[in-house]
Amino acid sequence: MKDNQSDSQLSADTDKPPFFKSWKGMYWLVLGNLAFLIILFYTITRIYS
Amino acid sequence: MRLLDWIVLLGTLGFIVSYGVWKTRGSKDIEGYLKGDNSMKWWTIGLSIMATQASAITFLSTPGQAYEDGMRFVQFYFGLPIAMVIISVTVIPIFYRLKVYTAYEYLESRFDLKTRSLAALLFLVQRGLAAGITIYAPAIILSTILGWNLTATNLLIGVLVIIYTVSGGTKAVSVTQKQQMAVMMGGMLIAGFMVVKYLPENVSFGDAVAVAGKMGKMNVVDFSWDWETSWYDRYNFWSGITGGLFLSLSYFGTDQSQVARYLGGRSVAESRLGLLFNGLLKIPMQFIILFIGVMVFVFYQFNQPPLFFNEAAKNKVYATPYASELEALESQHTELFAQKQEAVQGLVSALQTEDETAIAAAQAEVQGITEASKVVREDAKALIAKATPDAETRDTDYVFISFVMKYLPAGLVGLLLAVIFSAAMSSTSSELNALASTTVIDIYKRSVKQDKDSFHYLRASKLFTAAWGTLAIIFATYASMLDNLIQAVNIIGSIFYGTILGIFLVAFYVKYIKGHAVFMAAILAEAVVLYCHFYTDIAFLWFNVIGCVAVILFGLIIQLGLNQRKKVMQAA
Repeated sequence: MKDNQSDSQLSADTDKPPFFKSWKGMYWLVLGNLAFLIILFYTITRIYS
Repeated sequence: MRLLDWIVLLGTLGFIVSYGVWKTRGSKDIEGYLKGDNSMKWWTIGLSIMATQASAITFLSTPGQAYEDGMRFVQFYFGLPIAMVIISVTVIPIFYRLKVYTAYEYLESRFDLKTRSLAALLFLVQRGLAAGITIYAPAIILSTILGWNLTATNLLIGVLVIIYTVSGGTKAVSVTQKQQMAVMMGGMLIAGFMVVKYLPENVSFGDAVAVAGKMGKMNVVDFSWDWETSWYDRYNFWSGITGGLFLSLSYFGTDQSQVARYLGGRSVAESRLGLLFNGLLKIPMQFIILFIGVMVFVFYQFNQPPLFFNEAAKNKVYATPYASELEALESQHTELFAQKQEAVQGLVSALQTEDETAIAAAQAEVQGITEASKVVREDAKALIAKATPDAETRDTDYVFISFVMKYLPAGLVGLLLAVIFSAAMSSTSSELNALASTTVIDIYKRSVKQDKDSFHYLRASKLFTAAWGTLAIIFATYASMLDNLIQAVNIIGSIFYGTILGIFLVAFYVKYIKGHAVFMAAILAEAVVLYCHFYTDIAFLWFNVIGCVAVILFGLIIQLGLNQRKKVMQAA
């Protein structure tokens, strides 16, 4: 393991995401995108089956 | 291969390798070499993660898989975005807090040295084998299609990767992967555009998708579940969301070839964003690649496909006493194609008039001829196997490259070959870098030479990178053709990943279980997974779940037993 710790890492845990106020927003974006894709793919499957 | 193709291929590869070496020259210590001085921004991490996972097999096998089996393989990736979120929430902060070089270092602080070493060794075995396949898979296909020498092709891919990975370490891997991703996605999108452009004039894009749907290729999601059969079905929603989640958790959370990508981030935020970027884009990327395969399938409804896509293997039969039988099958194939082409045109007309009765009739006719064609293809495969027993009779890996070589214009063939080489190089470089860092940090520095200076470990890292690269080339040279290549890599991964993930999940969430118990549980769990692989028909994605759950259950039971024994001994 490393012996020293850089400043950027010291503040790492407090870093904020660039697009939302908190990381929860980012996580919901990814999970919402997954739900959207599954619904879209299911719709495609139904339409073209 | 025409001159322009050679210029595009060698120019692209030469630029990427030279740029990688130049941009990352002069690593002076192990920190810079194995962690890229923690300087990576999120988009570099995200692209690097995607490029590491997207090997040449992705671009060769996936369109062929869609050609044969439709779009349903995309469900394999449904668990991935959930895994990205879980890793971002739990794993990244822990790895950053402990400032580890490899994922396995954490296991020593949580358990003990033997558990760390066991996890590192399981990784080295499975990733070492996979690195060989990563080189071999494109090499065998390219050498067959282009008539190149297999060993020379293995050497070309392997040596190019070794040059920049040894030279620049982690930073070189990530820097080159940006260019490689641009080549890969650019090349595939152009190929997708070309295949749609090559469809007959009276067949619109919408018609092509509708034809694919009527021929059972737009089966993207399957929610159905049957307790009798679904366990053996490799790709459905349930295996994708559960088995895929476990596989992704293990691959991205514990496989050093991926962990190294985000450990090189500038901060926790950059690493998280890189992973979430992958969580957003991976499924659409796979969907596009599969969809290109489906469009190639539609293209071959209007243009006669080869009887067997690995034409080099097929042509060998003509030098045997079975030549006349093959000729007869070729004639049947051509005759059936003429009938099918007419029937598919009828289906297109019916779809354009939206006459449901006509559509159903045309669909039934097409299906009937397709079934007859399948029988002829199966007969051809059986004949090839009989005439040339060493021949591989699965040809799905050759579908896309065969289309590229036969139909794309000069320049684009070179670009698509650059896509395949770039993909092979991007995943191999990550693998070599990870194999070297695990060997140096978890084995060499921890258990062999503990008190050397940073320069010594830097030199050792470079040597181990070159050594693993050489081993991968040797393995690739002597590997024999394995089932479907992308599945071979995933099966090898799944055999080991469940156990490794189980160890890490216990480490993160089950504080009750200690080092001795998890070590014994991991060995038992691996034995259970190997039993499932060799003696049952359970689909390989479930190995991830079985291995992981087995580690946790065995761990709990063994820990309980150890605690009981301790109590009895204390009482005595």
